[in-house]
Amino acid sequence: MSHITFANVEVTYPGGLKALKGVDLEIPQGQFVVIVGLSGAGKSTLIRTVNSLVVPSAGDVRIGDRSVTRARGGELRRLRSDIGMIFQTFNLVKRSSVLRNVLAGRLGAVQPLRGVLGLFPKADVAFAHECLRRVGIPEKAFARADALSGGQQQRVGIARALAQRPSVMLADEPVASLDPPTSHAVMRDLKRIAREDGITTIVNLHFIDMAREYADRIVGMRDGLIVFDGTADDATDQVFEDIYGRPIDEDRDIRGRT
Amino acid sequence: MAVPDRGVVQGPPARPVTATRFLNWGTWGAIAVLFAVSVQQTGFNLEVVGQGMGDFLRFFGRLAPDWRALPQIWGPLVETLQIAWLGTVFGTILGLPLIFLASFNTTINPPVMFVARSILTVMRSIPDLLYAAILAPILMIGPLPGVAALTLFTMAVLAKLASEAVESIDPGPLEALRAAGAGRNRMIVFAVLPQIGATLTSFILYVFEINVRASVIIGLVGAGGIGNLINRYLSFFDYSGLGTLLIVVFGVVLAIDQLSVWLRSRLI
Amino acid sequence: MSIKRPADTIPATPPSVRRGNVFIGGAALLVLALTIFFLVTLDPLPTWARLQSGFERSGLPLLRGFVNPNWDVFPLARNAMIETVFMAVIGTTIGAVLAFPMAFLAANNLLGSRLLAFPGKTFLVGIRTFPEILFAIILVAATGPGPIAGILAMGINSVGFLGKVFSDVVEGIDAGPSEAIRAAGGNGLHVFFYSVVPQVLPEFASYVLYRFEINLRAASVLGLVGAGGIGAVLIQRLQFRRWTEISMIMIVIVVVIIVVDTLSSRVRRRLV
Ligand SMILES: Nc1ncnc2c1ncn2[C@@H]1O[C@H](COP(=O)(O)OP(=O)(O)O)[C@@H](O)[C@H]1O
Ligand SMILES: [Mg+2]
Repeated sequence: MSHITFANVEVTYPGGLKALKGVDLEIPQGQFVVIVGLSGAGKSTLIRTVNSLVVPSAGDVRIGDRSVTRARGGELRRLRSDIGMIFQTFNLVKRSSVLRNVLAGRLGAVQPLRGVLGLFPKADVAFAHECLRRVGIPEKAFARADALSGGQQQRVGIARALAQRPSVMLADEPVASLDPPTSHAVMRDLKRIAREDGITTIVNLHFIDMAREYADRIVGMRDGLIVFDGTADDATDQVFEDIYGRPIDEDRDIRGRT
Repeated sequence: MAVPDRGVVQGPPARPVTATRFLNWGTWGAIAVLFAVSVQQTGFNLEVVGQGMGDFLRFFGRLAPDWRALPQIWGPLVETLQIAWLGTVFGTILGLPLIFLASFNTTINPPVMFVARSILTVMRSIPDLLYAAILAPILMIGPLPGVAALTLFTMAVLAKLASEAVESIDPGPLEALRAAGAGRNRMIVFAVLPQIGATLTSFILYVFEINVRASVIIGLVGAGGIGNLINRYLSFFDYSGLGTLLIVVFGVVLAIDQLSVWLRSRLI
Repeated sequence: MSIKRPADTIPATPPSVRRGNVFIGGAALLVLALTIFFLVTLDPLPTWARLQSGFERSGLPLLRGFVNPNWDVFPLARNAMIETVFMAVIGTTIGAVLAFPMAFLAANNLLGSRLLAFPGKTFLVGIRTFPEILFAIILVAATGPGPIAGILAMGINSVGFLGKVFSDVVEGIDAGPSEAIRAAGGNGLHVFFYSVVPQVLPEFASYVLYRFEINLRAASVLGLVGAGGIGAVLIQRLQFRRWTEISMIMIVIVVVIIVVDTLSSRVRRRLV
């Protein structure tokens, strides 16, 4: 139902830069995939084609049997409302309450007028609180988003995505702005929830240790192409050195050990 | 720490454009020439100024207030505030859609943005009193043309100020809501309005301050409010009445300004 | 999918949040109530029939004039608009020249005492409370109609505005350079010319240009009360309801103001 298919996906940005050069990838439902690669490899671009924030210049991205790439207008919005997204910089409305930020995840689902006026059904409000409970910060519901720590803000980001009741979750460097212990806590939450709800998840990660720890499957990208695809066990240091194109042993920047 | 995505390596710092490039002798010279031509063409000279200011100051002596005029002033004064208030409210309501259509991050598409911006540019170039003078014969003497004039004026001024604020919001929440399948209107309500709410309210109060001043004078061209009374006093040479009126206007405008400034300071 | 819980698990909204909501709701209600009250007490509201006839007699010809303006009046409008620009130039210059010394009197970081700053500021606030048109009608009554009255009105009002913003700029300057000059043995004049003036000049210039934009709008309508410029041409046409000519005059005003605005804001952006 919600397995993701990339079929020969190419992306050329205005200005001519080719960020994806023909990506083929099948992700079965419920899999937790981590994408690794250097900055500029095309990870963000790839993840953004799944909800059509970036539109491929060739090829097709499908969720189940529906093409995201061809969807427009209302159909695209419906598809998107089924895909949660988590961002490196959280992308919360800082001046709004945590609860309101989470409810924003329900916007794609409520009736238009209710959405614009912010009159959410009681069930939606209850569900938003439930999502906050699942990420462990139910008591923050009425705090302003900018009063929270980075880790808590990212949890709000996850709760907002959960509020969509998504079958697919995208996370673009979700822990890159957090310190290592917080990073692990957030990644654990993400993984646990994905497992419990059977959500197909794609995460971009920078650190290889973290990728090995949480991924069902690791996909390595370089220069707009997939250069590795295997399990965490397959992804030896040698493999990572190939992906990154440099020795990684003492490279804290890539290992993520502190 | 992760390596942040960085597009290009930074080049050498751009040459700072300082005022010295503009405020050189050439510019001063050009200003001097422009001023000289202006003076020559308008027949402006120090003697005329001295005489004018002398007359002006002497005239002030004749403006000694007569408090018996107060009851006459009260009604038009209320009408003036009425016009300013209604113009601000309607201008805000009608201006809001224009704000979002004219901002690159909330518009529908580039052509729509271009049209909205062009309309705003033209509307903004028309002074408040000109709106009033044109609308008075069309909408008939009375407060209605005043309300209409200030509505249009508010739309133009507010949209200009606010669309700059809209364009400088944090784009992150917009992207998050787009990714969650929200349409344009919902994105505006949930991602834009919370970010600009306080600034927008402050701008509305600021425009109201301007509108209070404008509503005092639009009556001079028949658009309602206390300006009518000013005309009447002037044509009957009732200078003490005029003096009283000016003092009242001064007090009211100042009080509203202070209130508005205080509210604005609490907002941000 | 995740567990659904009954809706009665919604936690109670905390009192602080509820107070905030009540405050915002109250403010909104107050605005709404005042608006309705002001709306129903508007007096006199013209009848629909009168509005219709007003539109047919005046609105339609005006709109038609925009599509097909009357070029006969163009030379007159052009010359009057040039005079309007000249008026704005002089009015702005007067304002800038007088505001310059005043800014330093009204700034409370230079004289070191609020003794002078307070009356300086009060005077400037007093001036700004009145729109320039009010000064203009008084000047017209006192000295007779013509551009001089308009120029003086703009000058007076510009002093109020520029004096205020100039003194804000002066209060915001960096004390470092001044101290450096004093440390190197410079006197007050040295500090003034080598530290204060260079620091404030770009922003001063930017505000003067901004004020020029405002004054040009003012100058365009000062004639409506007899104070010279293109407004004088306009008011005659308005009295005789010559709508196609009025459209032409409005087009001239709008075009010139847009051009000046564009140039001025471009320069201002590079100044500061
Ligand atoms: N909006 C854009 N416009 C133009 N080029 C872009 C844009 N976004 C990314 N790129 C370029 O595309 C390439 C891939 O970027 P990205 O997908 O962000 O890589 P990653 O997320 O792996 O760091 C980079 O060279 C980047 O500079
Ligand atoms: Mg990236």
